[in-house]
Amino acid sequence: MDEQKSTETIIDCHCHIASEEHVPRSFIEGSVANIASALGAQGLPASPRKLRDMFLSKMQDPMCDGLVREMEAAGISKAILLIADFSCALKDCALTIEESFKKHHDVLLRHPGKFEVFGGVDPRWGTDGVALFERSLIEFGFMGFKVYPPCGFSPSDPGLFPYYELCAQYQMPVLIHIGPTSPALNFEFASPFLVDEAARLFPTVDFILAHGAVNFVEECVMMCRFRPNVYLDISGYQSTLGYDPLAGAVKNIVSLGINHKVLFGTDFPVFRLQGEQADFVEVLTGPDGALGHLNQRERDLVLSKNSTRLLEKSVPAVVWS
Amino acid sequence: MEVTAGFEEKIVSLVAASVPGKFRNVKIVSETLLQKELGLDSIGILSLVFHFEETFSIDIAQVGIEINIAKLRTVNDLLTAAHEILTKAGRDVNHEDCHG
Repeated sequence: MDEQKSTETIIDCHCHIASEEHVPRSFIEGSVANIASALGAQGLPASPRKLRDMFLSKMQDPMCDGLVREMEAAGISKAILLIADFSCALKDCALTIEESFKKHHDVLLRHPGKFEVFGGVDPRWGTDGVALFERSLIEFGFMGFKVYPPCGFSPSDPGLFPYYELCAQYQMPVLIHIGPTSPALNFEFASPFLVDEAARLFPTVDFILAHGAVNFVEECVMMCRFRPNVYLDISGYQSTLGYDPLAGAVKNIVSLGINHKVLFGTDFPVFRLQGEQADFVEVLTGPDGALGHLNQRERDLVLSKNSTRLLEKSVPAVVWS
Repeated sequence: MEVTAGFEEKIVSLVAASVPGKFRNVKIVSETLLQKELGLDSIGILSLVFHFEETFSIDIAQVGIEINIAKLRTVNDLLTAAHEILTKAGRDVNHEDCHG
């Protein structure tokens, strides 16, 4: 097993920059409120302010130097950084979406070969948003599109079609958040079935259902099984480790005959209070890990080859020298 | 690190108080893994931290010590961290009176 692990390539398809400047304060406070609720029920004096400070202490890595160190320790060779555009739904983010794009570009330049970026733009930005997204592909070398429906729109909203047309043109994948998120946002657009129309209308665009191993699992599996251009990522499995330390959610998803559609991801830095990237990889690839029953071909698909296949389809608008 | 059995017992009892019921029968020794064997996820670890602060009447942030919660893997890691915090706070670990 150790020899097997040492030769494996791992690509993390779902990460974010650990810096509060990319995340609205109300988003963080909403997430903290859920933790405070759980701890308060135990009679613990867990003030939201204190919890927020603890959470923010893990959000001090704006250039991803810490993430790169954790990736190296975990054997992760590359990660996809995702930009969610909260700007129409929540107004208290330190950076504008354009500034956020530029900061992600800075990270790409600082760590060549370590990252790809999928930029996200709220469809309510209209033509300005489309122009920014196209610029991100042409000027910044971003390699995909991130959609965050809890900001208040369906992933099949016609306002997104110009973005999907660009993704079709450049053969870039789209990653869509599925399931609940910070209570500051709207959960009603978080169902994977809302992706169906877009996946049907844009059959040459690949859609990745984020958190598909833990949210709306049956629906995500059904979409992956019956839509050739729909995939899922397993990020968020760390949320299940409290009641299922062997990551049964992942073991389940890789036992359903759709391993050509399953992508490894961690949602860094969301679970940084719980462990480091190496811990989260070990849970899957260790001797009794959730991927332990797979053959090497299946492991490779889940850990890297599915991500690689989607990224290699892309027609990069920027060639890095 | 030198600690008394009493101090270790206090910390182990704090761990036991934070462990989900599903794992209540797991024997807690210094090598026990917090997440993998005791099911302590991020909320579980935070619960442990707050129980510790309450029990020892201490505010870790005020002590001026940086504990990387993500690196707490075993009960022994926890004992070491607890020892560091209390020592830094000027408390005598081996004669520590707790309020839990």
